[in-house]
Amino acid sequence: MQPTTPLFLQKFSSNAPESKELQRLTSFENVENKNRDTYLDMIRIFINRNHVYRRGHVEFIYSALKNMESFGVQKDLEVYKALIDVLPKGKFIPTNVFQAEFMHYPKQQQCVIDLLEQMEDNGVMPDYEMEDLLSNIFGNRGFPLRKYWRMMYWMPKFKNSSPWPVPSPLPDNIYELAKYAIQRISSVDVQSQITVYQTKEIESSIDDTWIVSAQAPSQKDLLKNHDLKEPVYVEGSFRIWVKDQLVNYFVLKRQPKQHIKTIKDDLDDVSNIRTPIFSFQKPIEKQVQVMQSVHEQEDGVILAVCATGTSTKDSLLSWIRHLEKDGNPVLSDALVVFTLRTGTREVATVNNVEQKQIESK
Amino acid sequence: MYPMYRLIINNLRLSQRNNKGIHSSSILNTFWEKDDKGGYKTKTQVPMKERLRLGLQELKQEIALWTQELKEDFENDPVLVYRPGETDIVWKFGTEESLKQWVVTCDSDHGEGFSTCGLTLSNNGQGLLSGELSTRVPKDGRVKRAGYCNIRTLRARKSFKREAYLNWVAYNMLVLKVRGDGRSYMLNINTRGYYDVLWNDMYHYVLYTRGGPYWQVTKIPFSKFFMSSKGRVQDRQYPIPLNKVTNFGISVGDKINGPFSLEIDYIGLEYDPNHTEEFAYEQYKAPKYIVST
Repeated sequence: MQPTTPLFLQKFSSNAPESKELQRLTSFENVENKNRDTYLDMIRIFINRNHVYRRGHVEFIYSALKNMESFGVQKDLEVYKALIDVLPKGKFIPTNVFQAEFMHYPKQQQCVIDLLEQMEDNGVMPDYEMEDLLSNIFGNRGFPLRKYWRMMYWMPKFKNSSPWPVPSPLPDNIYELAKYAIQRISSVDVQSQITVYQTKEIESSIDDTWIVSAQAPSQKDLLKNHDLKEPVYVEGSFRIWVKDQLVNYFVLKRQPKQHIKTIKDDLDDVSNIRTPIFSFQKPIEKQVQVMQSVHEQEDGVILAVCATGTSTKDSLLSWIRHLEKDGNPVLSDALVVFTLRTGTREVATVNNVEQKQIESK
Repeated sequence: MYPMYRLIINNLRLSQRNNKGIHSSSILNTFWEKDDKGGYKTKTQVPMKERLRLGLQELKQEIALWTQELKEDFENDPVLVYRPGETDIVWKFGTEESLKQWVVTCDSDHGEGFSTCGLTLSNNGQGLLSGELSTRVPKDGRVKRAGYCNIRTLRARKSFKREAYLNWVAYNMLVLKVRGDGRSYMLNINTRGYYDVLWNDMYHYVLYTRGGPYWQVTKIPFSKFFMSSKGRVQDRQYPIPLNKVTNFGISVGDKINGPFSLEIDYIGLEYDPNHTEEFAYEQYKAPKYIVST
C-alpha cells in the first residue's frame, strides 16, 4: 500500500511557490477570484504550510466543502480527490480488530463520509483512483470506503435510466435547450419531424428569431381533415423542464372530437347472456371507428408543438405561416385564436382575430 | 454508529421475512424507534367526549363495511385470472373524495424548508400535484438539506380501522397515467412492518416524466423497486413483498429550485406475462462485516 502522488498534484508541483515567506492561509470567503484554480491553490497552500502534521485538516476540509458552490467546483471530481488527498496515507489504517470495528479516527472518517455525501448530492460519480486514495488512507475496513462502494454500486445503475437522456453538462444556449425540449415532447410519436424555422423568412414578421417546431404526419392528416368552421387555438406558454432549465413551449390545438362511446360490457356479468338457439334475437349493431392517434386526447387534439426564441405572439404568427407553407395549406383559411398566458394575460380580442383573417387572405 | 448491532438487526429482519415465530437472535434494545412519526408532533389533541362522538358517528359506516367483508368472505369468489393488458385501477383521481385518500406533506410543514405544495383537482378533472420546490436551508443549525414535497395514501384498513395490507401478489407492474412537466418524481411503496426497525421499509423507483401536452402511461415492474429505510438505500436488497404493501406515495425531491406540476389520472396495477425478471438488483452473499454496517 504505497501512497502515490496522484497525477493532478504532480502537475501543480512544478508551480509550487519556493519562497520562504510566511504564507497566511486566508479563509475561503476572503478569496477575490473564485474559480477552480484558486480553490486548488488554497488546498496546496494548506498542505505546504505544514506538510508533516497538517493541523486542523478536518476543519479545513469542512470549510472547503462549505465553500465549494461559491467557487463553482461542486461537480468537479478532481477537486474532491484533491481534498481527500489532504489526509495522510497510512496513518489512519487500523491495525487490530477493535480499531477496525470502532471506527478508527472517527472524526476523519466522518469528515470524508460527509465529503462523499456532498459528492452524491451533486451527482458526481467517483472513480477507481478515489478508491485507491480511500483505501490508502483508511484501509479496506474503513467506513468511507464502504460508502464509496455503495456509491459505485448504486450510482451507475441509475445514471442512464432516464428515457430522455440529455448531455451533461447541459448547454447554456437556449436554442439547444429548446431543441432538447421539443425532441422530448415529440418523442411520443416516432414519426414526428422536428424542423427549425427562421422568422426572417416570413415577410411581415417583426421578430428575428428561431422557431423549433415538431409535427408528425398523423398531425398533418388531422389538420387536413379539419372542419374550417371550428377555430384552431395556439395555447401557451407552458413550461417544461430539461434537467434543471425551464423551456417555454406553445401548442397548436383543436377542440376534442366527440368520439362514439364504446359500450363497456361487463364480461363477468352472467345475468343476461344472449342465447340465439332458443330465440331469434336481432344482431347488435356495432359501429366501426378509426383508431385514435396519440395526438387526439381528451382535452384537445394537438396539431403541432413549438418553442420560439422570443415567446411573443409575432413569432407564433410566423410559426403558423411556416407550418402553412410546410404542408398544411388548411391553416391559410382556418381561424387561428391565440390564447396566450403570459405575465399580463393576453387574450385574443375580436380585432386580432379579424386581423388574422385579413392577413391570411 | 456501532456496526456490530446492525448484524443483529439484519438477523431480525431475515427472521421476520422467513416468518419464523422463533427468535433466532437476541432481542435488541438499542435500535429502538421511539415513535412511528419520527419525533414530529402531528397528533392533534382531541378531548375524550369529542372522540367518543366522532367514533359513534363512524360506527354506522364501519358496521356496513364489516358486513360487506363478511359477505365477501362467505362468497369466496377470488379473481383467478389476471388478463395481460388489463389495468386494475387502485387510485383514480377525479372527485373530491379521491383527494381525501392522500396526505400531502412538504418540508415547510415543520419549519424545515420553504417549499409549497398542494394536491387539487385540475381543470380537466384529474388530480394535480403542484407547488414550488425550494432547496433553501433554514438557518436553525439542525437542518442540513431541504426541499421535498410528498403525497402518500392513507394506510390500507379493514373495518373498524384495523390495519391491513394491500395484496398485489397477482400483479407485476405498476401503471401510472400522468402528465408531468419533465421533472423526475420518486415513487414510494411503503411496506411497513410490525417491528420498529421495519417501520420505515420503503421501496422506491423514479418516475421520469416527458413533459409536454401529452399524457404518458408509465409501466414500472415491481422487480425494479429497490429497498431503502428513512431515505438510505439498504445494502441487502430483497424483492418487494407484494402481500405486505401498506402505502403508496409520490415525492418531489430532485434538488431543482422551481415550480413543479404533475397531473395524475390513475394509478393501477397490471400483470404482464412477458416480464419475467424477478429482481433487478444483486442478492448474492456479500462479505460479512462490511455489508449492512
